[in-house]
Amino acid sequence: MSGRAFITGKALVCSLGDSLEEIVGAVRRKRIKLEQLPFTLAGLPYTRPYYLIMRNESDQLDNRSDAYFYEILFSTVARSLADAGVSGAEIREMPVFLGSTSMDVPVFEGNHSKVPSTVSGMFLQSSDGYGKIAGAVSARFGMEGGCYSFTTACTSSANALLYAAAMIKQRQIERALVVGYDLFNNLGFYGFEGLKSLAASHYRPFDRSRDGLILGEACGAVVLEGKPRAAGDFECLGGANLCDTYSVTSHDEEGVAVAETMHRALGQAGVDPGDIRAVKAHATGTDNNDRTECAAMKTAFDSHIPPVTCIKPFIGHTVGACGVAELVVFTESVKRGFIPSTPGFRDIDEQLNLKPLTENGEAGEGFFMLNYFGFGGNCTTLILSNGRRTG
Amino acid sequence: MKVMYIHSASAFIGEANAEVNTLKEAIRRYTRESFRRGNRFILLSLLGALRCVHRHSLEPNTAVYLTTEHGNLGDTVTVLDEIYAAHSLPKPYGFINTMSNTAAFYLAQNLGIRGRNITVSSQQVSFERGLELLKADLATGAEANALIGGVDEASLNGFVSEGQNHHGWRMVDGSSWFYVKSEREGACGAFRENRSFRDGHACRRWIGEAERPPTDILSFGSLIGDEEASGWREALRPVAEFDYLGEYGYSGSAAACGVGLFMDRFRGRTLLHINKDPRGHYSVLEVERYSDLRCE
Repeated sequence: MSGRAFITGKALVCSLGDSLEEIVGAVRRKRIKLEQLPFTLAGLPYTRPYYLIMRNESDQLDNRSDAYFYEILFSTVARSLADAGVSGAEIREMPVFLGSTSMDVPVFEGNHSKVPSTVSGMFLQSSDGYGKIAGAVSARFGMEGGCYSFTTACTSSANALLYAAAMIKQRQIERALVVGYDLFNNLGFYGFEGLKSLAASHYRPFDRSRDGLILGEACGAVVLEGKPRAAGDFECLGGANLCDTYSVTSHDEEGVAVAETMHRALGQAGVDPGDIRAVKAHATGTDNNDRTECAAMKTAFDSHIPPVTCIKPFIGHTVGACGVAELVVFTESVKRGFIPSTPGFRDIDEQLNLKPLTENGEAGEGFFMLNYFGFGGNCTTLILSNGRRTG
Repeated sequence: MKVMYIHSASAFIGEANAEVNTLKEAIRRYTRESFRRGNRFILLSLLGALRCVHRHSLEPNTAVYLTTEHGNLGDTVTVLDEIYAAHSLPKPYGFINTMSNTAAFYLAQNLGIRGRNITVSSQQVSFERGLELLKADLATGAEANALIGGVDEASLNGFVSEGQNHHGWRMVDGSSWFYVKSEREGACGAFRENRSFRDGHACRRWIGEAERPPTDILSFGSLIGDEEASGWREALRPVAEFDYLGEYGYSGSAAACGVGLFMDRFRGRTLLHINKDPRGHYSVLEVERYSDLRCE
């Protein structure tokens, strides 16, 4: 595998906005935007916070339908292609790698109030399968490469990135569009509440008072290519994916499989643990995730853990989209000179003994580890670099 | 493409809407585990895969590639009904099982394997795309052994009447699996080619130019129409055609099932499977079934 894979174009829409300047500016200033959402359908007498996309009237949940779903998707993809500066001919050759947990469930939910059918009835009668969204991107932009739709829970778009980069490095393809997309849907919002995984008010990963996750929605898109287009384009050096067979809902708290994933990713990228400049943790804020991830980092880094940042307190847990969405927030912050802080962190959990960055850290050049974990024991680690390696 | 060797294969075709308990009973032939929380999609995945590897001892690093058109349908419907019709929160395991990769997880857990665990989809060519990912992993050395399968519940989309879709094919559950290694020793067959083309013209040109022995068995994916199939038949003049859709029925994973059934029925033969996605892009899969060894 002699080729290389660079991130040459990127775009993101999330609760912080739809321009990278706006989003990274908010991250730098530790600004977040949270909405309170009720469980109206279940008649529950309380709300839970949610990181909603709220740019204008069209973003209101009641106004959403399939047209909204695809407008968000297509505009994000268009901006990522423009950011990379790829030509029409280059776009035509591109494959689409998409990762999502909810896929088109938001479409069925959004349409249900407009047609005389149940949501489940619509889903059963008209679901065109998981591949429909990537197929729609391919058709809209005239992309003639293969379409790959990954559904591995919260690692979905991280795995999409992992394979797109591997195929570019193997020179099977020249470039790829990678999309992470999960919009608000009641299936996820009510489902996570059913698991009692949602935090009541604040997002505090690794904090002693952490009480769960806060969901968010995002559409992120990146263009990967075999050559950089601009100084500072991040290189995807490699990564790994493994299955922690401990439990379908949680990882082994000793972090053995998670540490092995980090270890393999480092080996695959040819990077020593001591050379990692910062870790973007998965950091869901649930007791199990943070315990597991912390134990794994201690093993992988022999207790010399590099600075750790958590992106979810800024944009929420965007489930399958978080692979691309958090990568964009992290790399764009580093490009602008800082490693994001973790807003909301207050007190060290003595059992974890881990304090993520509470103020923006200095970025510089180097190697970075990005971690993602999900239901079904899925563990994915990516290793990125911002330009120190040559040849 | 570098050849990927098939060390065992299986194909399970089940009647649409068959009792879940019959699947559980069938699984008991291969494992003592009860899979109390398993839904139809999970049980189909387990049944097909366990049938495939029950005579093999797997390396702990074996990977799982689950390919599917629709993933879980049943639990997704149940959870949507819990929210929208019963006005309640979903049951925890019902919600978790809406994520289709849980099927690949239960498989890995039951078999004690913890290699890569990927669930991937691509309209009508999910199995072929999964093979591409596997090929990439074999090439990097990330994996040397893998289980790859196609699994789908019978879908109502396209359903017309009496359990048939508009082609007249029976709608069925399907789960077909292959134990694949990069080493040949002990193999009962091989994936020799897996190519994609942006249109039929490019596909025909490649088939015409490729140096290969005459086609033994020819089969088609669900979007290849009768007229087109007749053109391919004329051009390739196969020894036989395998109409797995007509004989066994349609599921979203019909292509994987067709290949699995070929491995069972056509010892010593080579299969050329021509498939098409809704964009009009083509995939050609060439599979060889060696004559000498059992394939289960």
